[in-house]
Amino acid sequence: MQSWRRKSLWLALSASWLLLVLLGGFSLLRLALPPRPSPRAPQGWPRWLDADLLQSFSQPGELPEDAAQPPRVPHGGSCNWGSCFDTSKCRGDGLKVFVYPAAGPISETHRKILASIEGSRFHTFSPAGACLLLLLSLDAQTGECSSMPLQWNRGRNHLVLRLHPAPCPRTFQLGQAMVAEASPTVDSFRAGFDVALPFLPEAHPLRGGAPGQLRQHSPQPRIALLALEEERGGWRTAGTNSSACSWDGRCEQDPGPGQTQRWEMLPNATFCLISGHRPQAASRFLQALQAGCIPVLLSPRWELPFSEVIDWTKAAIVADERLLLQVLAALQEMSPAKVLALRQQTQFLWDAYFSSVEKVIHTTLEVIQDRIFGTSAHPSLLWNSLPGALLALSTFSTSPQDFPFYYLQQGSRPEGRFSALIWVGASDQPPLKLIQAVAGSQHCAQILVLWSNERPLPSRWTETAVPLTVIDGRRKVSDRFFPYSTIRTDAILSLDAHSSLSTSEVDFAFVVWQSFPERMVGFLTSSHFWDEAHGGWGYTAERTNEFSMVLTMAAFYHRYYHTLFTHSLPKALRTLADEAPTCVDVLMNFLVAAVTKLPPIKVPYGKQRQEAAPLVPGGPEPGPKLQAPDPNCINQIAAAFGHMPLRSSHLRLDPVLFKDPVSVQRKKYRSLEKP
Amino acid sequence: MCASVKYNIRGPALIPRMKTKHRIYYITLFSIVLLGLIATGMFQFWPHSIESSNDWNVEKRSVRDVPVVRLPADSPIPERGDLSCRMHTCFDVYRCGFNPKNKIKVYIYALKKYVDDFGVPVSNTISREYNELLTAISDSDYYTDDINRACLFVPSIDVLNQNTLRIKETAQALAQLSRWDRGTNHLLFNMLPGGPPDYNTALDVPRDRALLAGGGFSTWTYRQGYDVSIPVYSPLSAEVDLPEKGPGPRRYFLLSSQVGLHPEYREDVEALQVKHGESVLVLDKCTNLSEGVLSVRKRCHKHQVFDYPQVLQEATFCVVLRGARLGQAVLSDVLQAGCVPVVIADSYILPFSEVLDWKRASVVVPEEKMSDVYSILQSIPQRQIEEMQRQVRGQPRRENWSASIKAIALATLQIINDRIYPYAAISYEEWNDPPAVKWGSVSNPLFLPLIPPQSQGFTAIVLTYDRVESLFRVITEVSKVPSLSKLLVVWNNQNKNPPEDSLWPKIRVPLKVVRTAENKLSNRFFPYDEIETEAVLAIDDDIIMLTSDELQFGYEVWREFPDRLVGYPGRLHLWDHEMNKWKYESEWTNEVSMVLTGAAFYHKYFNYLYTYKMPGDIKNWVDAHMNCEDIAMNFLVANVTGKAVIKVTPRKKFKCPECTAIDGLSLDQTHMVERSECINKFASVFGTMPLKVVEHRADPVLYKDDFPEKLKSFPNIGSL
Repeated sequence: MQSWRRKSLWLALSASWLLLVLLGGFSLLRLALPPRPSPRAPQGWPRWLDADLLQSFSQPGELPEDAAQPPRVPHGGSCNWGSCFDTSKCRGDGLKVFVYPAAGPISETHRKILASIEGSRFHTFSPAGACLLLLLSLDAQTGECSSMPLQWNRGRNHLVLRLHPAPCPRTFQLGQAMVAEASPTVDSFRAGFDVALPFLPEAHPLRGGAPGQLRQHSPQPRIALLALEEERGGWRTAGTNSSACSWDGRCEQDPGPGQTQRWEMLPNATFCLISGHRPQAASRFLQALQAGCIPVLLSPRWELPFSEVIDWTKAAIVADERLLLQVLAALQEMSPAKVLALRQQTQFLWDAYFSSVEKVIHTTLEVIQDRIFGTSAHPSLLWNSLPGALLALSTFSTSPQDFPFYYLQQGSRPEGRFSALIWVGASDQPPLKLIQAVAGSQHCAQILVLWSNERPLPSRWTETAVPLTVIDGRRKVSDRFFPYSTIRTDAILSLDAHSSLSTSEVDFAFVVWQSFPERMVGFLTSSHFWDEAHGGWGYTAERTNEFSMVLTMAAFYHRYYHTLFTHSLPKALRTLADEAPTCVDVLMNFLVAAVTKLPPIKVPYGKQRQEAAPLVPGGPEPGPKLQAPDPNCINQIAAAFGHMPLRSSHLRLDPVLFKDPVSVQRKKYRSLEKP
Repeated sequence: MCASVKYNIRGPALIPRMKTKHRIYYITLFSIVLLGLIATGMFQFWPHSIESSNDWNVEKRSVRDVPVVRLPADSPIPERGDLSCRMHTCFDVYRCGFNPKNKIKVYIYALKKYVDDFGVPVSNTISREYNELLTAISDSDYYTDDINRACLFVPSIDVLNQNTLRIKETAQALAQLSRWDRGTNHLLFNMLPGGPPDYNTALDVPRDRALLAGGGFSTWTYRQGYDVSIPVYSPLSAEVDLPEKGPGPRRYFLLSSQVGLHPEYREDVEALQVKHGESVLVLDKCTNLSEGVLSVRKRCHKHQVFDYPQVLQEATFCVVLRGARLGQAVLSDVLQAGCVPVVIADSYILPFSEVLDWKRASVVVPEEKMSDVYSILQSIPQRQIEEMQRQVRGQPRRENWSASIKAIALATLQIINDRIYPYAAISYEEWNDPPAVKWGSVSNPLFLPLIPPQSQGFTAIVLTYDRVESLFRVITEVSKVPSLSKLLVVWNNQNKNPPEDSLWPKIRVPLKVVRTAENKLSNRFFPYDEIETEAVLAIDDDIIMLTSDELQFGYEVWREFPDRLVGYPGRLHLWDHEMNKWKYESEWTNEVSMVLTGAAFYHKYFNYLYTYKMPGDIKNWVDAHMNCEDIAMNFLVANVTGKAVIKVTPRKKFKCPECTAIDGLSLDQTHMVERSECINKFASVFGTMPLKVVEHRADPVLYKDDFPEKLKSFPNIGSL
């Protein structure tokens, strides 16, 4: 018994020991071993046991009703838009700008600036009616400094334009005046009040200006990655292995003659490294922009031009000079998509805001106008995508969908209907047949007759399926491009009373226009050429293998171009069109081409009779009459634009089965092919 | 164990001496075993408490138990904030150099309680919001617990509300932080700056070079590009869950809900109500509330009581007026309610204004113009108002930050991060576009309107397997095209060597042969370094029917449309209503949505996209099925540009004279079924049908016009 008990006791004991060793051993082992070297979870901010009991940073009573305080008066020296600019003066006509006349001899740049302000739609001659008074601070070269002008009023509503950093010792306090200065230092720049201008070289053209240098979208495969500034003002390109270069752009070892190339002005590389201080850096910045070389700014101490509205992150890289090696590595690894986008944006910005003195000045005024407009200012998209805020007027709309340029970005498309606008000139008969043909189109929403005829309005018009409105015109040719409020559709079909179109031509042209809503789609064309003999431009309506203009006597375009034609073109040009009616086509084509930078589109036109005779839009003369195009007109317009915006096209868009030897039954636009 | 119990019961008397000895021995042994087992059991059941004893100490602590630090009265005080600080002057960017993922690393100091010489605390140890904020940072990718690797330091000293702290002592507490170094790379969060009577617009605590994320900056205190402007968080709207409200007119046009307005301002807003009647509602504190009703959640107009913040949803525009401070928590309430804020606070820097486009989501009115507010708002078109309403709640990046401390913290760090790694920064669109716009919009990668110079020419790429004779004919034909600048033969046959150099046709442009590693269709669309022109002509090794004029004209058309596929025979996709799926159509239709890439011009960039950015498994799928690479290319280009293809010339098919009619019909039908399958497969991978249908093709200007042929530029445009 005893031994049995003892045995069982021993058994139990040893079993327990075994259990202890097995279970405890592992635990002891785990304890004994140091913490595993495997990745240790980082110790975060502790989760407090009493986190829920913590008090809020502000007590409910305190938050909404902190002690009230009376309105503040603006500080003496520092100004901002709300406190130092009086917008009530601008209420009537929007921004009106008065420029103080120059006192003494002025420099070339100065003269260009004056000319471009006087040519703008903002200019006024009366200081009393102006809401912005502009003072050009004189250049250092002339040695004279401006004295305090008459209407100074402590600088209120004044803009002081300074081209060179503080050439004069201040003869008067700036007071509440805004300063527009070329590349101001970040420390003195008052964001939202001052305007940062680009550096304007003496040779900067007044109008037009050289286009961007980029001829292709993507960088060439063997193009240098980096361009570095040279001390003497040029550029030097370096291969992809630029890590040997120190931060100030000078390379410690010359990479050898095969790898570097010197450029006098415009660098040919993907990225342009710009360090250093203004104004050298600022002028190089513009050079790079024009060349399509993506500016890489190393810790700039100056404000980028028009930074208030331009999103520079889309066109340049602002990096810290202290992280140069990292930046270089990042540039080398940058995805082709990003490089492509940055490069193209440099060209757009250069062309839209910087290529001429006029553009720079108009952009400055537009920036100030946007501040005055407040909610009806240009949205950021309009500033930062083609064609730019100078060509996309916010007075037309602030919704990008209303413009012909942003359908893709907005994921929308133009309306499926158009308005026909028929101009009835002095000697035209009421275009009853034309009205029938156009009204027959399934896409036609309304017909507007612009009656510019001596005779009284006919009492009866033909019965049409769509509403017909008659507008009594003022017999000016430019009236046909007036933004009539009765036009309710995106698309306009502009016609002359004696144009002759078939319903199926209209239908097809409209369907094509829907694919190209920013361009003009027309039936009859003419083309421009450089006339060596006369040393000027000429144009012809003869049939050639290419064309650059479509006649507005039969063309589809977006109604926005009416607003642009009436409100953005200089008055002189519209007067020119009124005086020489053949010019109006050229003018409209220049305008659209300057915006789109693309040629118009031609669609097939059946009436050989009219094609044989070059057409003139409805002038005062009776009927279509052979009239030589006026070369004077195209040259005057080209001079006013400062460049030749027209582009030539080699193609015509036809229906897919056009004139193919297949059964006509298959063809949708079969009547287009009738001789 | 049982046995021992028995012994115990029987009592000591019955057990002999020897046994007693045994008994003690046994009992000791058993007790040890028992203890051991219990201990083991404890190890097993609370394994974590033993393993990570450190965590146990940290995690399960009370805020009250944090270490106390005594600040001597004469400990150093940092200098006042330096107004001229910018990233390149006051920020030590070298500390951020380590990070490979373009992400800054943020360290948070451990929480301590600071007391002065007399043991009086310097401030509340930590507020609920600041704890939440630090938790959010600690949970994010930015966090590091290694002080040596950190680029940004966040003190755990809570300065959210200046009223709750003692300025000098807090500054001393900051100065003794282990890496303070004049505040370099330190980030402070403050929402309620200043104090009576003059209420500075930035935190008054001397902080030297530290960055300040402040709510309520004015243009005078905000260091552009250095500080970050943040919203004043409203605990109120975080408590209340307001339903989403669609855009459209609301019951009130304009609402003022703030209490404690300056009398002058109150007069102004009340004048608005008198003038415009019903459409303006001006609320104030309730004076006659019964006991127990939370007064912060109620607002009154005369004797009418409104729930706050719910009432904000009843208005289109809500006034956010400056109080003693510029930053008002009501802005967060208003945004949370989906009401468009009308900000009347001169010189106020709106939250995150460095990246957020407030023009799209608010109306800023100068204080001077307060009496005109109504007419200013009335002049905004209804459509723009609706866009603003969508914007107020729809900003994706903002992630409803008006109700979330976490979003405020992360947005602040993102902004600082983007300054340090600008090449990887988040774009304007990502910050500002509501999701609806993002899904619908297309951003064409080739958006610049350029007509490339003709002189550039194009590179022809011929994909070939072993049809050498036909290949040589194609080479000879293509080399007649004036604008050809290079010819690239992609030799896709690994078992056979390309013919000897001497056998190739002699042509006027460089000819290169590329041998591939595998016989794959996608080799045709590889962005070879040898392609030096932007224009690429993909051409099959059996396309010999295209005339030189036809090819040259195709190139001219591509120059005018460099962002599109320009090809010859067109094809169409159609919706099959019976089968409820897409169908491939090669009949002679009036419409086109694709072109065959047996001969097509396109931009070289699309080769890069095809090879590296093709969505889903399409590329491998095409290689495996040896079909539909052209449809895939059509999908890709249409999807990325949003534009239709351009079909040039009347050509309808590629007839090769050599190919005998290989038992036509049945093969044709299986071919059509396969192609239809491709379209359906691709449409499902893309998640949409990107192809665009058009009714036009491009012909030379004078094509088939009654005009002397010899004067036409492209007289020989070929047949169908």
